[in-house]
Amino acid sequence: MKVTYNWLKEFVDFDLSPTALADLLTMLGLEVEGVEQIGGGLDEVVVARVVEKAQHPNADKLSLCKVDNGREILDVVCGAQNFKQGDTVALAQIGAVLPGDFKIKRTKIRGEESCGMLCSEKELALAVESTGIMVLSADLPLGVPLFDALGIKDTVFEIGLTPNRADCLSVIGIAREIAAKLGTKLKLVEHTVSEGTDPVGNHVGVTIAAPTGCPRYAARYISGCTIAPSPVWLANRLQAVGVRSINNVVDITNLIMIELGHPLHAFDSRQVAGGQIVVRKAAEGELFITLDGQERVLKADDLVICDQQRAVALAGIMGGQNSEIKDDTRDILLESAFFDPPTIRRTSKRLGLHTESSHRFERGADIGMVPMALDRAARLMAELAGGTIAAGLVDNHPAPRQPISILFRPQRCNEMIGIQLTAERMAELFRNLAFGVEHTSDGSLQVDIPSWRIDIEREIDLIEEICRLNGFDQIPATMPVAAVISDRPSRHQQLQRLVRDHFVAEGMNEIVTFSFIGPDGADKLGLAADDPRRAGIRLCNPLAEEQSVMRTTLMPGLLDTASRNMSFRSLDLRLFEMRRIYVPKAGEELPHEPIWVAGLFSGARFAEGWCQQSTETDFFDAKAVLESLFSRLQIADVHWDAENPEVYYHPGKACHIFSGNTAIGTLGELHPSTQAAFELERTSYCFELDFEALVRLSGNRQPIVPPSRYPESVRDLALLAPLELAAEQLIACVRGLRLKELKTVAIFDLYQGENIPAGHKSIALRLRYRSLERTLTDDEVSVLHQKVVATLTKKLGVALR
Amino acid sequence: MREQLEQMRQQAIAAIAAATSEEVLNEIRVRFLGRKGELTGLMKGLGSLPADERPKVGQLVNVVKEGLEEAVELALTAARKAATDQRLATERIDVTLPGRQRRLGSKHPVTLVVEEVSDIFAGLGFSVAEGPEIEHDWYNFEALNFPPEHPARDMQDTFFVENQLLLRTHTSPVQIRTMLKQKPPVRIIAPGTVYRCDSDATHSPMFHQIEGLMVDTRVSFADLKGILTIFTNQLFGQKTGVRLRPSFFPFTEPSAEVDIACVICGGSGCRVCKQTGWLEILGAGMVDPEVFRHVGYDAEQFSGFAFGMGIERIAMLKYGISDMRLLFENDVRFLAQF
Repeated sequence: MKVTYNWLKEFVDFDLSPTALADLLTMLGLEVEGVEQIGGGLDEVVVARVVEKAQHPNADKLSLCKVDNGREILDVVCGAQNFKQGDTVALAQIGAVLPGDFKIKRTKIRGEESCGMLCSEKELALAVESTGIMVLSADLPLGVPLFDALGIKDTVFEIGLTPNRADCLSVIGIAREIAAKLGTKLKLVEHTVSEGTDPVGNHVGVTIAAPTGCPRYAARYISGCTIAPSPVWLANRLQAVGVRSINNVVDITNLIMIELGHPLHAFDSRQVAGGQIVVRKAAEGELFITLDGQERVLKADDLVICDQQRAVALAGIMGGQNSEIKDDTRDILLESAFFDPPTIRRTSKRLGLHTESSHRFERGADIGMVPMALDRAARLMAELAGGTIAAGLVDNHPAPRQPISILFRPQRCNEMIGIQLTAERMAELFRNLAFGVEHTSDGSLQVDIPSWRIDIEREIDLIEEICRLNGFDQIPATMPVAAVISDRPSRHQQLQRLVRDHFVAEGMNEIVTFSFIGPDGADKLGLAADDPRRAGIRLCNPLAEEQSVMRTTLMPGLLDTASRNMSFRSLDLRLFEMRRIYVPKAGEELPHEPIWVAGLFSGARFAEGWCQQSTETDFFDAKAVLESLFSRLQIADVHWDAENPEVYYHPGKACHIFSGNTAIGTLGELHPSTQAAFELERTSYCFELDFEALVRLSGNRQPIVPPSRYPESVRDLALLAPLELAAEQLIACVRGLRLKELKTVAIFDLYQGENIPAGHKSIALRLRYRSLERTLTDDEVSVLHQKVVATLTKKLGVALR
Repeated sequence: MREQLEQMRQQAIAAIAAATSEEVLNEIRVRFLGRKGELTGLMKGLGSLPADERPKVGQLVNVVKEGLEEAVELALTAARKAATDQRLATERIDVTLPGRQRRLGSKHPVTLVVEEVSDIFAGLGFSVAEGPEIEHDWYNFEALNFPPEHPARDMQDTFFVENQLLLRTHTSPVQIRTMLKQKPPVRIIAPGTVYRCDSDATHSPMFHQIEGLMVDTRVSFADLKGILTIFTNQLFGQKTGVRLRPSFFPFTEPSAEVDIACVICGGSGCRVCKQTGWLEILGAGMVDPEVFRHVGYDAEQFSGFAFGMGIERIAMLKYGISDMRLLFENDVRFLAQF
């Protein structure tokens, strides 16, 4: 909503600078989002007089003028013909910058010097079109900036209105707020009409066949109008608030709409058969051509304004092409009506036809404004278009608004806001808003709501008004008095932070990708046709195909991110994402949204440096990060199962991860075809973890044991084992002996190749023995160690080397 | 015997004085004071002395022995120190060489802000609540007092999925779910992912919010101002407080937009705050009685406030990020700076 400073001043007296006014409006909840100066920056355009006008020696169509700006006489070349010596004109002096960033410089035109430019209205953005330069009234003082001299300097405020404040979609509405805040009176613009003798009933009749859609319809008849361009003040005023000037009659209806917030419509009365207006619902499928030339197909719910034969307007939205004001229109049927907001909203939305008029009606116009808007418009039409107003008005009002009165408890208001105002002060604030107030015997207030405040229906709405008008800045900042609640983050929340901290400590960067992905994500991963991860939830209205399916796996987002980074030559990646996936569950109301974690490793193992090797990262870097996570989470009995790895992993370098029998995730080198599908330049190692499973399995703490005070004995063991024997089996076999004194088993070497028979590998184990009670003798350790060797050779078929 | 003793002592003293290394000194100690050393050898002669001489000579032997031991010890200490000094005088590293490089991980700025905001509110007694992102219309709109014709309920603004479900457009449905589950007092914040059909330099179709809700028997608008003042001062580390401006949300009344003094210019006006000196960071208000009615709370008995903020907005202000899209491009050169 745009409104100007000077326009507001016509409705309310205030002594505030434009900046102070903007601040006042913002703090009332009418946020000033932009401030624009009209005529600002044009101080170099001044009033001047043409003291001499001569023919340009080298150009027929140019004249050579001597112009007096009050201080000196300047030479100016001019191309316009519509002025004569002695005329007062608008001179843009050297240095002026005209609208459109047009700079005025000293120049030579066809060999003659020109020290400025005589301006047209168009060049000063005072009119859309103009012929010739502005010729001003002779009594204007020379040398004074033009906009000051004409008194059209103004400030335009762009106000971002919240949807509840339909009453402020007008100059009068905003002025009311200013008056309420300042405690002054609103000034009403002149709207008395001088009527002719011809009764309106001779020309206009109104029948409302749909009173729910149209509770009030008023009309006047203005005969003998002359359609002409609007006077400059009217065109300028509309232009200042962003409305294009069309002609005097249409401009008047627009002016009233901006000024009083009430959309009007002017019909050419020749086109309204018999002058008989009928407001009715449209017939299903009825065709109607609106002013913009579009043919509209109407529905039975749409409200139309008709004459005796046909529709002439789409009620409250747009007039019909068949009845618009034309240059030869003489007699006008002027409509001022109130339409039901939901009806207008539905039609406007369905037809995609949003107009200044529908904008106001669908938010709720002021039904009480109907006659005043009508009268003020009629008065202006008589004044500016030379029309005669028929005697009387038609005001068909089948469904008057029920007056709203609300009981208001000052005490409750004070408690709710945390302020201490007296009931008297509150009553005063309500009166400032032009609400009716009566004190009741129990100290409450009975408040009557005026017709324009359709947003006020409940006591809380009045509390807000007090809060707002008294000033949000008057509210103290206090701390609530409340019971102590014993609470701490849930285990789920604590572990989310722990897991993130873990991956960050491992040098990984957290990413956040969109929850919706493209349907091709599953294809790029190579998922089987019946893989449940293909059954992601689809959006009905995605912005783009690649954001159309709620992800069932974090992998595509992770791999796309890695790919994008690699394309920027960031090849050494350690990424993780910890977010929800969206799993449809048949028979349940809502899909499940479990949190998963996925990670990716690629490129160099270490950051570049002078004292570290530049080796490539591999599977075991990723695995180590997971192993330490599982230890930290105290997840017991983790095993890594190479059977049937995910299709997007290398079949020989991947596994499922289990804790006991519960699957908790996957890990593997990316399959070359997946790597290619996502255009990854480097071999990548990825993992996925089911965070919800980790939470369930976590906290399986082993008993704490004190450290032994006795020395340990270390024994190494080199074994020749078949290639397919998993290291996990060796360790499990040793641990299966449950030797109390065996503290740790570690694999410290792995070798294949020379000196090792084909199909075999050499594995070296380091075992540490130690007792809590005493120093073990060499013989005791040997007995234990022999037991280990014997078991391994017997159970796993390995040989000592 | 006495002469022999004296002679040996003098030899030993001379040897100690001449020794330059720990090694030589240890040899000297063995030679003179060891179990098979010269002093032990001399002591064997004690037996052949007359009985009255023995104690005197024996005492003398002890004096010589202690004297020599002390001399060796002193010399050893000096030799060790000299050796250490010598080593320290020659060993040098270039301390300006970089350390062994490790990769530093980073949390995403959205996570950092969520954690920081959650921590601040934890200190004020608010616990974290969560709710589904794929949500019913009822929780997202209806129960929050959005009228059926509200533009936010349009396909233009909200992502819909089948079966009357939608992607929540704000974290406010968590308010509803929380209040339906428990009776007052309620003190929660709800960080989460939300979605709207918008995509340009300042809008992302997916973004994050943190919702706050407090309901008790006597919670006032002034309390909301108090809590938000503390919160913003802690988050942005300044004492300028907040400015509340009247606004409108369907689920609160009175409603406010909350501004903080511009963190870039301190309130004097700059490009970021559009010369106003203020930055809008929050929407807030008192819970609308209609919302209480939907969750079965008695609006006469309880009052409460709710607030909501955009996490990206806060991250951008806090870290001076000018383009929201950077947050979702996940370029490691950007992420590694957090």
